[in-house]
Amino acid sequence: MNEDLKKTLLNPIFKGNPITVLVLGICSSLAVTVQLKGALVMALSVIIVTGLSSLVVSLLRNSIPNRVRIIVQLVVVAMMVILVDQVLRAYAYSIDKQLSVYIGLIITNCIVMGRIEAFALGNKPIPSLLDGLANGAGYGMILVIVAFFRELLGSGTLLGFRVLPESYVPNNLVILPPMALIILGCIVWVQRSIQKDLQEK
Amino acid sequence: MNTNNNVYTIVYTTIVVVVAAAILAIAAMALKPKQDANIKAETISQMLTAAGFSDKDALAKLGNDQILAMYSGNIKTAFLIDKDGNKTGELETDVNDIELQDNLKVENKNIAAGNPSLPVYVFEKDGAEINVIPIYGAGLWGPIWGYIAFDANCSKIVGAYFDHESETPGLGAKIKDEAWFREEFVGKEVNFAKPDDSFDIIKGGAPKDDKSAVDAITGATMTCNGLDAALDTWFKAYMPFLQKKAGAAAADDDACCGGACGKECDGQCEHEHNHQEG
Amino acid sequence: MAKNFFDKIRPTFSKGGKLAWLHSSFDAFETFFFVPNRVTRKGCTHVKDCIDLKRLLIIVVIALVPSLLFGIWNLGYQHSRVFGLDWGFWQMVWYGFVKIIPLYLVSYIVGLGIEFASAQMKGHEVSEGYLVSGFIIPLIVPVDVPWWMLALAVAFAVIIGKEVFGGTGMNIWNPALLARAFLFFSYPSKMSGDAIWVGGLSKALAGGTPWKGGEVVDAISGATPLSHASLDGLSAAGTSAWNLFLGNVPGAVGETSVIAILIGALLLMGTGVASWKIMCSSVLGALFVGWLGNIGGVTDIPCWEMLLMGGFAFGTVFMATDPVTSAQTETGKWIYGFLIGALCITVRLFNPGYPEGMMLAILLMNTFAPLIDHYVVNANIQRRIKRAKTV
Repeated sequence: MNEDLKKTLLNPIFKGNPITVLVLGICSSLAVTVQLKGALVMALSVIIVTGLSSLVVSLLRNSIPNRVRIIVQLVVVAMMVILVDQVLRAYAYSIDKQLSVYIGLIITNCIVMGRIEAFALGNKPIPSLLDGLANGAGYGMILVIVAFFRELLGSGTLLGFRVLPESYVPNNLVILPPMALIILGCIVWVQRSIQKDLQEK
Repeated sequence: MNTNNNVYTIVYTTIVVVVAAAILAIAAMALKPKQDANIKAETISQMLTAAGFSDKDALAKLGNDQILAMYSGNIKTAFLIDKDGNKTGELETDVNDIELQDNLKVENKNIAAGNPSLPVYVFEKDGAEINVIPIYGAGLWGPIWGYIAFDANCSKIVGAYFDHESETPGLGAKIKDEAWFREEFVGKEVNFAKPDDSFDIIKGGAPKDDKSAVDAITGATMTCNGLDAALDTWFKAYMPFLQKKAGAAAADDDACCGGACGKECDGQCEHEHNHQEG
Repeated sequence: MAKNFFDKIRPTFSKGGKLAWLHSSFDAFETFFFVPNRVTRKGCTHVKDCIDLKRLLIIVVIALVPSLLFGIWNLGYQHSRVFGLDWGFWQMVWYGFVKIIPLYLVSYIVGLGIEFASAQMKGHEVSEGYLVSGFIIPLIVPVDVPWWMLALAVAFAVIIGKEVFGGTGMNIWNPALLARAFLFFSYPSKMSGDAIWVGGLSKALAGGTPWKGGEVVDAISGATPLSHASLDGLSAAGTSAWNLFLGNVPGAVGETSVIAILIGALLLMGTGVASWKIMCSSVLGALFVGWLGNIGGVTDIPCWEMLLMGGFAFGTVFMATDPVTSAQTETGKWIYGFLIGALCITVRLFNPGYPEGMMLAILLMNTFAPLIDHYVVNANIQRRIKRAKTV
């Protein structure tokens, strides 16, 4: 694999993480991280949507009329989101119910449109696909980390299995959205103390 | 090629939209039966949980076919009633063609309009009949609904299941998540004497001797108020039917359940205190 | 004598000394006992005045003492009343004392522990702001709160509420209230309900065996006055306005007695430590909304009685006036206080789920205090520009 592709693939995971560095997609990461299972499915959905949308837009990039490019991108993204939602509703009904509107709201996730505008419009299909997948993965990784702590501390379980002893008193605040924001803040904190060049002056 | 002239732009967007619409339409058609089956199985598993045949979580692991089979195997009859409690139609219960009246939102409006078509699902468990009816109402953030199971003569509640669309996790969502809340309903009765307020969910603890009231969930006042209103509305709509059933049973056996109810209630009350500590 | 001791060991902790890395801890202890070696000279331009921050905080702590003492007695009194024990005065005081001491130990050990640790890490001096927060926290939580929960709440308040913003003086929210809010939202079953405010009551109701002899005489009497949302409810519970004023009703340790709080308030106002403007405007705000509630028929509790109930008085005097988290401008203080009082009563009247509106009102206004200041300052600038133009 050449250096450029490697960078495309790895940068969004850590150094250019869409959530902790670009601070995109915050809303959904607060809403769907109560349980690890939901977060995993959400992460997967976003990875698929970002990857495929970037791929399709990149394929079309030379033919899209510039004046209506946002609309065309939206149509592509919306189609992907609805497809994912329909498939989930058919094959993972209980999770789809739990994620409720947030699957549909992937379309408003800035990461998807952001990557299309910033990358897929100006790059070849394969790098675009990888870029989309990697950004989705960077987003998903944070989602899973936050959900891990929230489910562990808020319910004493992981993926529905009891991990902490029965005597553990679940912390209700962790289940509420503010704590997701605080955990997110802590992740940003940890990342920036590891990676000093991200610290703002 | 100039991609910015008007004709090109219009043709291009039209093609993109048509292609996208076609893909979505095909996907929706292909997945529709599976989705409907999921919704049906979900509704049925809520009923089965309320009636005490199984547990919602256990049912979720079974898969749709087994849930439908369990329904057909245990149901005796399912029918629709009008506002006076008279039977107006049957619902098919054969496993291949199960009919449900599950559009509760529409029926909720029909109740207000005075022309509801309400379902009653009669199961048979250990030789006794169990009548399951739905309820529906507004929670704090979105709709809440549930199924209430009555004994053969509709005098006592034997089980309940509640679900919601978007109540607060850890607070309002407890109407679904907390087993103790559902169990509180067991042994309770609908208060026929007060048709407008036939059941209460009381904040801070229901009186021990109140057979038509349960404890509210701490911190979930609005959701509990919504559930209270939903119960009152739907019980009122079912009142003629429930009373008919109870009346028929009273004629059979005057002694009803006076003593038995009292015991059950006391058992419940001890339980209520435990959850406050919880 | 103690002074000599500190002087003797100072070199050890000074730069280059054996225990130099501990110098911030040393400094904290030394200045806690004595006025620091260097204070701002009287008479020179200084933002506040020449009193060292630590001395200032000591006055707040002294102002809190009447509430604490009364609270200790009231703990015993409530326990004795609910369990029908017929205790004497000293027995009640002893019970309250035994109950409150562990809370203080937890509060200070955890809170100061984290303060010291973070000061060591950053190489700062230990800031003394936690002195007051740590003193307030046990006064506003249910007395039976499990110690580990309290420890967690204190840790949360100090780390997330204060240290991440840069320590004392930089925090947006009142740390003591943040600790209470943490408990309130994390463990609602331990923080709300009718049984939590009387020592041993919830335990007795759950297990059937009280902490110390006796039977529960009347479980409902454990409810705070706030949970009886009407006059009828209040009189049914045998609570008069005089009881509310005196404070011999169930509630958090420090918040029940309005008299004790008033003594503290006079001290704070007399020494100028806390802003009388915030206190007055908060009372005005509460009266205003309470009055609206009265004429609107929302509640039949007279607006002035609202002032005596729940944590209103305590919050107004000791927490709304926290100089760090309140508005800084003079006009801003009026707006800030008024909104706290108004919001508190609004929450009480319209959200039965959270009968204690004071905590939420103060935290919310803490958040908006900088915004209020911003607009007050801007308005002032505009006014001056206008005046300059007309001249």
